[in-house]
Amino acid sequence: MSTRQNCLVENAWICGEYVRTRGQELFDATVQHVGITAVSVALGVLVSFPLALLARRRRSVAGAVLGLTTVLYTIPSLAMFSLLLPLFGLSAALVVTGLVLYSLTILVRNILAGLQAVPEEAVEAARGMGYGPLRLLWEVELPLALPAVLAGIRIATVSTVALTTVGAIVDYGGLGTLILGGLDSTFKAQVLTASVLCVLLALAADLLLLWVQRLLTPWTRARRPQRSRTRARAEKVAEPA
Amino acid sequence: MNSRIGGTGRASGRRGARGIRRTAVAAVAVGALTGMLAACGGDSLEEQGSGSASGGGKGELVVGAAGFTEAKVMGELYKQLLSDAGYDATVRTVENREIYAPQLEKGAIDVVPEYAATLAEFLNLDENGPDAEPVASSDVDATVAALRKLAEPRGLKVLPPGEAVDQNAFAVSREFAEEHNLKTLSDLGESGVEVRIAAGDECETRPFCAPGLEKTYGIDVAGIDPKGVGTTQAKQAVKNGTDQLVLTTTTDATLDNFDLVLLEDDKRLQNADNVLPVVNAKDAGDQEIADVLGKLTDTLTTNDLAELNRKVDEERQKEADVAAEYLESKGLIEK
Repeated sequence: MSTRQNCLVENAWICGEYVRTRGQELFDATVQHVGITAVSVALGVLVSFPLALLARRRRSVAGAVLGLTTVLYTIPSLAMFSLLLPLFGLSAALVVTGLVLYSLTILVRNILAGLQAVPEEAVEAARGMGYGPLRLLWEVELPLALPAVLAGIRIATVSTVALTTVGAIVDYGGLGTLILGGLDSTFKAQVLTASVLCVLLALAADLLLLWVQRLLTPWTRARRPQRSRTRARAEKVAEPA
Repeated sequence: MNSRIGGTGRASGRRGARGIRRTAVAAVAVGALTGMLAACGGDSLEEQGSGSASGGGKGELVVGAAGFTEAKVMGELYKQLLSDAGYDATVRTVENREIYAPQLEKGAIDVVPEYAATLAEFLNLDENGPDAEPVASSDVDATVAALRKLAEPRGLKVLPPGEAVDQNAFAVSREFAEEHNLKTLSDLGESGVEVRIAAGDECETRPFCAPGLEKTYGIDVAGIDPKGVGTTQAKQAVKNGTDQLVLTTTTDATLDNFDLVLLEDDKRLQNADNVLPVVNAKDAGDQEIADVLGKLTDTLTTNDLAELNRKVDEERQKEADVAAEYLESKGLIEK
């Protein structure tokens, strides 16, 4: 017992006793982290689809939408949450709203890139076959844009997993709450364990989405030898501070 | 390019069964994700509700705590006392006063463990601007009276202070102290050494930080390194020699680990930062709450506080366990 206690007192980076005694805290934090990330990305996708469709219609709208979402992306995350605080109070909604705003630039750009990369011939052929605009979007353009859209969702998800930690300043940061608390009191085991879980979470989310992407777009695999790689195009943007 | 579209159509026709199975698996995956999302979202939303006194007990109370060990322990102590008295109490830990103070006024947070002088000056600066005359002093009663005058119009009720006091204190590395022969802050002023202070960026304006060190002690402040008050990074910076002076507190139990020594505040620059509960008058202004928290205020000493901090920061016990053990040992709650 005493030797086990020691790795906490000695403040070791890796400490089994830490994981044993704080299992519940780690689990709760992970669940909160997954929840905040999932809600944020889901809302982000819902908001960015109409924005991307609007942006596709007109060049001027595209400039405004891309410019605005990029400006939002440059706001430092600490400042973003502080600015939203008077509107939302101390709630998960505050963190989710901030994360949705950050995901927009990645998602809108990727959805737009995916839609714009749909071959003109394909669109014209579909029109020639009598497809209306909605059917065209749903049955031709979206499936063809899917690899780019999903690539965008993957980047946004990984970025959101990392950014969720900043929610710790208002007690809704999932694993970030543990990381920040651990940093404030030099609790090495807590900082490392929570950080590793955070990285694993990002990897797991990325793999899960990759798997979903493969299930939804089987045709890209069938043609893999020649040209499937050119499809999954994603625009990567630097992460906000 | 055209052939791709055709290809897709043909392919889906050819392996219809597999396609359906794939779609089903993907749908399940998406469904699972949505379920997870809904469950978590629901959780968070429930936690938000405060003040609405539905269900058993005497109603919900949210105890706010800043993000450092002592505040977290005090938050736990308050929470457990209030729970023991029949309230449905939870702790909400946020980064700093700048975040929780507005929420306390709004009633999203109901009770906060506070420091008399620091809160008085915080409200004073907020009310009267950065050039306001200081209202806090090293006199507890005068400081609390000034605090009440500032807090009451904002809907805050300040409960009586106790003996436990967590004053700001400045530490230097042992090596630096020996090199310049320093025991007190006056010594540091007389030595004429230029110092960079590791503290919160608010140190720049707070009268008991940089401005006070310059005016009262004649210390040559070269700059503020915004690493936070008493954080590891701040202490590490002084240990490394990046900064020379670190702002910490009298109840800091980890100074030895960084080979730091406190310099005595011989001219009493530091204010009466006695620990006291501050509550939202509307949500938590009852005398019963005041009585429950008052029992702790009357019992707690500065040494107790340092010891509680040490158990969390050194022995790595959980704040909740440390708080429960203390309250039980003092007979404030039943085992």
